[in-house]
Amino acid sequence: MDIGPYALQLFSGLSRAMVLFLLSAGLSLIFGVMNILNFAHATLWLVSGYVTFSVFTFLSQQFGASPWMLLPAIVATVAAMMLLGFALERFLIRRTYDRELPEQLLLTFALVLILGDVIKLIWGLENRRINLGVKPMEMFDTLVNPYHFVIIGTGIAVAAGLWYFLHRTRFGKIVRAAVYSRTMVSALGIPIPAIYAMVFALGVGLAALAGGVFLPLLPMALGVDLDIIVQCFAVVVIGGFGSMLGTFVASIIVGVVYSFSILFWPDGALAMIFLIVIAVLIFRPWGLFGTEMRY
Amino acid sequence: MSENAKPRGPWSRLYDAFGVSGPVTLALLAASLGVPWLPGEFWTHVGTEVLILGLFAMSFNLLYGYMGQISFGHAAFFGVGAYATAMLFTALKTAEGQIGMADFLLSLLAGPPVAALAALVVGFFCVRLTGIYFAILTLAFGELLFYIVFSWYSFTKGDDGIQGLLPPPFFQDSTNFYYFTLAIVAAAAALMWRITESPFGYALRTLRDNQRRAAFLGTSVRAHMLANFVIAGAFAGVAGALWGPFSRSVNPGLLGWGESGIAVFMTLIGGGGSFIGPMLGSVIYTMLQAVVKMYTVYWPLTIGTIILMIVLFAPGGILGMIDQRIRRWRGAGRAPAEEAETAAPATEPRR
Repeated sequence: MDIGPYALQLFSGLSRAMVLFLLSAGLSLIFGVMNILNFAHATLWLVSGYVTFSVFTFLSQQFGASPWMLLPAIVATVAAMMLLGFALERFLIRRTYDRELPEQLLLTFALVLILGDVIKLIWGLENRRINLGVKPMEMFDTLVNPYHFVIIGTGIAVAAGLWYFLHRTRFGKIVRAAVYSRTMVSALGIPIPAIYAMVFALGVGLAALAGGVFLPLLPMALGVDLDIIVQCFAVVVIGGFGSMLGTFVASIIVGVVYSFSILFWPDGALAMIFLIVIAVLIFRPWGLFGTEMRY
Repeated sequence: MSENAKPRGPWSRLYDAFGVSGPVTLALLAASLGVPWLPGEFWTHVGTEVLILGLFAMSFNLLYGYMGQISFGHAAFFGVGAYATAMLFTALKTAEGQIGMADFLLSLLAGPPVAALAALVVGFFCVRLTGIYFAILTLAFGELLFYIVFSWYSFTKGDDGIQGLLPPPFFQDSTNFYYFTLAIVAAAAALMWRITESPFGYALRTLRDNQRRAAFLGTSVRAHMLANFVIAGAFAGVAGALWGPFSRSVNPGLLGWGESGIAVFMTLIGGGGSFIGPMLGSVIYTMLQAVVKMYTVYWPLTIGTIILMIVLFAPGGILGMIDQRIRRWRGAGRAPAEEAETAAPATEPRR
């Protein structure tokens, strides 16, 4: 059997999985801590991609073209987007904490529409992509873009970092405690509003990182955010809201299933994912790794 | 509530009988009768669209406003209804593309039951969940149906859609088709009103307010939710059936979540707390879209900003805001003892 095409799909599936993980981890954290399902998460990711592109182009013009220019571009974008996330929480999201679910969803969905058009206003209809000019490597009788490994490495590093942050640092422990009981954390004298703003900024920061890392692989295009956010919802539902391990495993499931479905049923790749979501929601609504308590 | 000393005018009595929906429905009905007299066919066309999408949004509100669940896949039933009608339409029409009046009406009848059947299957699973899980499961089912229609080329013509749904000559006149739509939508709305004011409708409100308590009182939660899901699906199917002959074609996008979003937007703009709110939302949304799209491609930015403003400053939509004003204003005219009663909105059902 020729394993070439399968290896190719596996690698692209895994790197897609890592991007989904970076996004879903933030989504899941934000939902866990403040009970807001952020529709605009993937749109913020898309904005970050465009911003990274512009910063990268600017840096390349100033200091000469080099793939390494992507690093400072990503760092600058993550910082800027975290600030934007902080501001969004402060001025918009915060007003809806005591509202009902549909209104919260509508507010973040309004952001999807607005930010999508802002992208159109600033960057136009053209797709944006960075070509790093990396040579493909020969593996498994086929050519694999080594950048896949950069993405997979980044994903695993972030997963490990998040685990360390949530389990070993004081702030991380507070965040986890807030997932279980906001009232209790607040009663212990910890300023919950500050935690909210920081968690939101952290989530947006992860999304921005994903945007920058993804840029050399797939072009940023208008409307992609809607595809991605639906897949992120699938990931958090399959993995279970609030579970980091679940989010990681579910990202790999969704990424790889999507990637292999393209091989067999190109139009129905997303349909396969929805089938999994339906099965999980029917038989185990709290997700593979979630706990029944949270559900 | 004791009899009020203040004499009541007809509007006030209308409000007593039907809530804020009473006067608004009457005003909308009066305005809708006159639409074809506006110059040009354009506004008649927009008016038909307002009615069809308004009916779709009102069917969504059976789930949202009355049952307290938000569905992101409601367009699936709108689309399934549209496809059922379109397919029967295509099978019945002659090779020259003509269709007789009886066959046309028959094809319209196909939409609602097929949509209801789809809602029965999907709803069977969805009513087990509530809140965010209900929202995501309806989204997943809706998208699944979308992909089935999208990729089953031999049965549905895939992303080409079905074209050439030209109604009989009498209904090719936009004014005739407008009044036909108005009659159907009005009849459907009257039926929906009857359902929401029945004991069943009030049981749904109990589910919305406190599902656990409703279960303790002996209400069968799932059976009520499923019945309502099917009813909402059937009415979405009525709207879908009208859509094909109106736009002369159907496409898979009708099932997608973008279309579901339209019902959500309309309901939120008009106000999900009142019966006629979604229709008012459709009037605003559809007419605004028709006008804004003439001048700019930035329609999402426009509607996004409007929704943002509504969520921030007018939760409950436009009718919710007006209703609140009316209650406060009427409360002010009453004896102080009654004021406390009016201040608690839960004592009077909102309509």
